[in-house]
Amino acid sequence: MICYQCGCNLSEHDFCTNCGADVALYKKIIYISNRFYNEGLERANVRDLTGAITSLRQSLKFNKNNVEARNLLGLVYFETGEVVAALSEWVISKNLRPKKNIADDYIDMIQTNQNRLDTINQTIKKYNQALTYCNQDSLDLAVIQLKKVLSLNPKFIRAHQLLALLYINNEDWEKAKRELTKCKEIDTNNIATQRYLKEVDEMLMPEDGVKQSSRKRHKTEEAVKYQSGNETIIQPVNIREGKGVTSLLNLGIGIIIGIAIAVFLILPARIQASRANIDEELRKVSEMSDAKTATIDELQLQVNELTKANGDLQQNLEAYLGTDGKLRSVESLLKAADAYLTNPEEITVVADYLEEIAPGENEDAADNSESFESLYNTLLALIGPRVSQAYYNDGYEAFRQENYEDAIPNLEKAFKYDAANGDALYNLANSYYRTGEEEKAGAAYRQVIELFPGTEKARRSEGFLEEMANEE
Amino acid sequence: MINFEEELKKFHPSLEVEDAEEAIYNQDLTDMADLMVKIVKEAKKAEIEEALE
Repeated sequence: MICYQCGCNLSEHDFCTNCGADVALYKKIIYISNRFYNEGLERANVRDLTGAITSLRQSLKFNKNNVEARNLLGLVYFETGEVVAALSEWVISKNLRPKKNIADDYIDMIQTNQNRLDTINQTIKKYNQALTYCNQDSLDLAVIQLKKVLSLNPKFIRAHQLLALLYINNEDWEKAKRELTKCKEIDTNNIATQRYLKEVDEMLMPEDGVKQSSRKRHKTEEAVKYQSGNETIIQPVNIREGKGVTSLLNLGIGIIIGIAIAVFLILPARIQASRANIDEELRKVSEMSDAKTATIDELQLQVNELTKANGDLQQNLEAYLGTDGKLRSVESLLKAADAYLTNPEEITVVADYLEEIAPGENEDAADNSESFESLYNTLLALIGPRVSQAYYNDGYEAFRQENYEDAIPNLEKAFKYDAANGDALYNLANSYYRTGEEEKAGAAYRQVIELFPGTEKARRSEGFLEEMANEE
Repeated sequence: MINFEEELKKFHPSLEVEDAEEAIYNQDLTDMADLMVKIVKEAKKAEIEEALE
């Protein structure tokens, strides 16, 4: 402590040892200031910020140079969201004590961070704007603006209180209580907060006010009061721990709610998901099954085709093979050749063997063997005309007797064995004509005209053709 | 029962950062110590004047 007159350090005496000034009253003033500072500090420690502000301001009223009190006041202002007030206190504090002052750090903390400073300024402007909206009866806009303010600075007590007041005006008691609870968490002993909170509590639980007071009274009766020095100690008696049953009940309700949520919300979703998975699997299996069925059908078709082809081939093979496994036509040809070489006059035997070679079979054989074709043609050339004549004789005899059924095959064979046998062809045509097979007859007559032109047979054939044409 | 209009009147616009300087200058920093010094000085002055008379 220094003398207010000369600036020297004061001793325990009530006068200045340097200038002799009476400092008794001055010392008392400084002591009172310090006492208020201590009180303010204690209140700030228990978050009674309103009380702390009052005490600290009192302290400064007594001693404006109480830098600690001023710094603490700034800090409390800052905590309640009053940043400009806080800055003012710190700036004054710094002017009073330029060195070794913690206010320096506080000011730096705000001023070095430009973004923070901007946010603070925006918060204040928005709050002021909200207040303007309130005065203009634009309460909805004010609520929106205050919510923005509190999102930027959640400790701004005045904004919380104004928002709570707006909610109270709107009879939105729950929201008002929420805001006021937040206020109380920041500043436990704010008078406005408590007044609003009381109003809100009364509105939320109108009967509880009476009940609570009676319960309080009852509790007081059940408590033991005694004095310990300057403090009154109130010790409750017969404390019952009714929490056990309540806890169990709450636990049971919680479990039931949990099970209900699981049954009604989670389980159906799981079942749905499982069903979807099963359906998907089923679809894939079904697709695979379809693909396999298609493959099986295709393979079955191939098997059928191959079986049919095998049957045809087997049939063809049987046609080619004799009983001893040799080619039947080759065997017949060899027999015919053998018969001719043994007795050339037995042309009917040779012809019988040649007949065994099925019509058209010799052509197929020719594909396989040129010697077969050559031998067959040689035999046919050697015995052909004679065989032809023999068949012609039999056929013509049958023709004369009008036995056309015998005549036609014999005459056909006669022409087959000797293509120069025009009589055979002509009488074959006549046989056809007489049996009514006019198409075959016409073809045979035309063949006669073509192969034997200028002959009597050709002329007669023309006559028959004209006759047939006239009949049509 | 809280009167909204009356309560609203208790809320005042907050000082903006730009106004801080002016607020600092306008702050009345007179304390009890200043008053005491002033009273002491005036008392001394009166004593001197009385002595001179």
